Amino acid sequence: MASLDPVAFLRSTPPFHALPAALFEAAAGSLEIGYYPAGSILVRVGAEPLQHLYVIRKGSVRLERDGQTLQVLEEGETFGYTSLLTGKATLDVQVEDDLLAYRVPATRFQALLGDAQFAGHFAVGLSQRLKSSLEHSPVTTFKADLQLEVQQLLRRPAIWVEAGATVGEAARVMRDQRVSSVLVRGDPPGIVTDRDFRNRVLSEGLGPETPVASIVSRPLRTVDAATPISAAWTTLLDTGGHHLPIRRGDEIVGVLTSSDLLKVHAPGPVAVLRRVERMADRTGLPGYAAKVTEMVAALLGGGLEADLIAGYVARLNDALLRRLLTFAEADLGPPPAPYAWVVMGSEGRMEQTLLTDQDNALIFDDLGEAKRDWYQALAERVNADLEAAGFPPCQGGYMARHWLGTVSEWVQRFAGWFEARKPQELLEASTFFDYRKVGGALDIEPLEAALSSTAQHPIFLRYLARAALELRPPNSLLLRLRESTELDLKMQGLAPIVLLARCYGLEIGAAERNTHARLAAAVKAGLMSQEVFNVVGEAYKFLLGLRLRLQLRLAAEGRPAINKLAFSDLSAIERSRLKDAFRAIKSWQEMAAYHYQASF
Amino acid sequence: MFFSSPAWDSVTYWSLDIETGGLDPKRDPIIALGMLPIRQGVIRLSEAYRTLVRPEEGREIRPESVQAHQLVREEVREAPPLPEVLAEVDRRVREGALLVHHQGIDVAFLKRAFARHGRRWPSPPVVDTVELLLKLERRRRFSAPEAGGDGPSVNLAAARRRLGLPDYQEHDALTDAIATAELFLCLRGALRATTLRQL
Repeated sequence: MASLDPVAFLRSTPPFHALPAALFEAAAGSLEIGYYPAGSILVRVGAEPLQHLYVIRKGSVRLERDGQTLQVLEEGETFGYTSLLTGKATLDVQVEDDLLAYRVPATRFQALLGDAQFAGHFAVGLSQRLKSSLEHSPVTTFKADLQLEVQQLLRRPAIWVEAGATVGEAARVMRDQRVSSVLVRGDPPGIVTDRDFRNRVLSEGLGPETPVASIVSRPLRTVDAATPISAAWTTLLDTGGHHLPIRRGDEIVGVLTSSDLLKVHAPGPVAVLRRVERMADRTGLPGYAAKVTEMVAALLGGGLEADLIAGYVARLNDALLRRLLTFAEADLGPPPAPYAWVVMGSEGRMEQTLLTDQDNALIFDDLGEAKRDWYQALAERVNADLEAAGFPPCQGGYMARHWLGTVSEWVQRFAGWFEARKPQELLEASTFFDYRKVGGALDIEPLEAALSSTAQHPIFLRYLARAALELRPPNSLLLRLRESTELDLKMQGLAPIVLLARCYGLEIGAAERNTHARLAAAVKAGLMSQEVFNVVGEAYKFLLGLRLRLQLRLAAEGRPAINKLAFSDLSAIERSRLKDAFRAIKSWQEMAAYHYQASF
Repeated sequence: MFFSSPAWDSVTYWSLDIETGGLDPKRDPIIALGMLPIRQGVIRLSEAYRTLVRPEEGREIRPESVQAHQLVREEVREAPPLPEVLAEVDRRVREGALLVHHQGIDVAFLKRAFARHGRRWPSPPVVDTVELLLKLERRRRFSAPEAGGDGPSVNLAAARRRLGLPDYQEHDALTDAIATAELFLCLRGALRATTLRQL
């Protein structure tokens, strides 16, 4: 049955992709296929509930209640589980575009719920659903890199061609799927790679009509999905190849390339830290950003959550910065009076993953006023060194070489920001209010005191909240495959959460800067319910992870990090969870709008 | 109501596809067969029947046919003999209607095989997706005569793509039977057929 197309599609669709082979086979054996013309009503509220879990193969359905469309589901998405789990029909399901659906009968679905991961996918709570959708089961403790299992690196199912395919057909499949190898059906199955095309086809003067069977390598040398990466690395070295098919039971679940494995083999955070600490002088700076990017990719591949990774990156950047301060002090002599080096914006919140810009400022003791040049020189050096290490200069210009001053001057500035009403001033205030001290001996308590008094400036807070609420997630009903919608993960997803969390944090005078920590503080202060916190918190983590994967891909292609992506480039599960995340933000914004209108 | 025809979805359709060692029903062997039912309008994979067939004595797989089905003599040598397979087919198609894509080939091969092995052809109602495609085409031309041009291809894969169905691999008997069954459900909707006779 495994080679039947409907079964293969089901296998690649979450949560079926993660089922053990025996459970999946049983489910596949019970598969049914239905076709429903546009306009068909599959179920109505209060009527007989659905008796199957539906997986959309082609077409789309609308989930409606009281004539209002709540969701539109498309290819690769599932429905019917609410009926199956609760025994009630709580929504109308109407076919919008002619629907071809694969479906699993209720009894079989119930049996599959015995698998924890499968069941987690259908968790009723939104926060749990978002959580279980983070690409892998959350790994809370960091395992030594090389003991991770190879299956955690797999990103997609194996790509196959039929035994009778030609080289040209195989090449087209590889181009369309953007892979460097393809598996060839047969007994035993084999593999063909980019390299084979060069070495066994072109260099032999053969053409695209050459049968793939004449250049295939078989049998496959596979490794089990649970093999530690270190052992897989050895296998790859043994075979001298660059592609490693991964098997779970008798089934091949994907192919890893040597570069997939190399990424994980790269240093983890401890190794990068050691590199920073051993840096004797500035000659060690170039390449730092690349090392961090490599580490981030590896950790994400290793199943770590994006916010955790951001925590590592922040700590590494802090360590680097302290190193740079010692270099500068070595050049300039000891400081005339104590100073504090602060980072701001996403770095201040410890949420920067890739080194996209530098946001920093320098604060020095009032006693240093007469030696202002010394601090200016320090800032110049450190800004330049950061640039050498791979932090692009900040486009907004929030760099210490422009933003330095005495404590008194800064207290003055903070006071001025409380009067901010214009968008540009508000943006400035927001960036600076996320400051975090990373180096220097100066105590900046006066600034902390100023910040925690924000609640006494209700008009400022209201403006801040208004700016936060102006950023809106897209209407999830407009998110359609066929519309080729482009999304801005930052402006439509992350920023609405970050900005609103900042408002809450400032309102309660929280010392935390991190978005997640600010939200937690808001719960503690009674400003937010635990339930909303769970949902928004998971939405935030999901968006961070999604953006990080996007940016890593761009980095790998040598393109600048942007936040825009096409909705249709996402996998079915990502599309569906993204819609969940946007909905979570929207409903939180509605509550917040009420709060800021009512209280300020 | 002597001439009433049953509602389309009260009938069980056995969608069937065969792979053959050539195109001549008189001389070429059946070498693979796949079938599965549509019950209450839903395709049931759980009842799928899929088998290779051992060619009868003296019937060879023509080399030019191998390109399509990828089967060679060694692979079908151990397969069940044709009479065994025909018994399985017979039992199933008696349940309702037979569904094929292009009966000129599949049904012709089956009838010949039944006759050769002394089995009476059960003469089920035959629904042919090629005919349904042509019917749909005629209706479209009637409503939009200016469109003109040659009729579109009735090739299974091409027709499916035109109607928005996904691409499946071709020339595997069971996959083709599934592909035909889906195409049937799609055409049934497009033709707004409500009874068996309208199909």
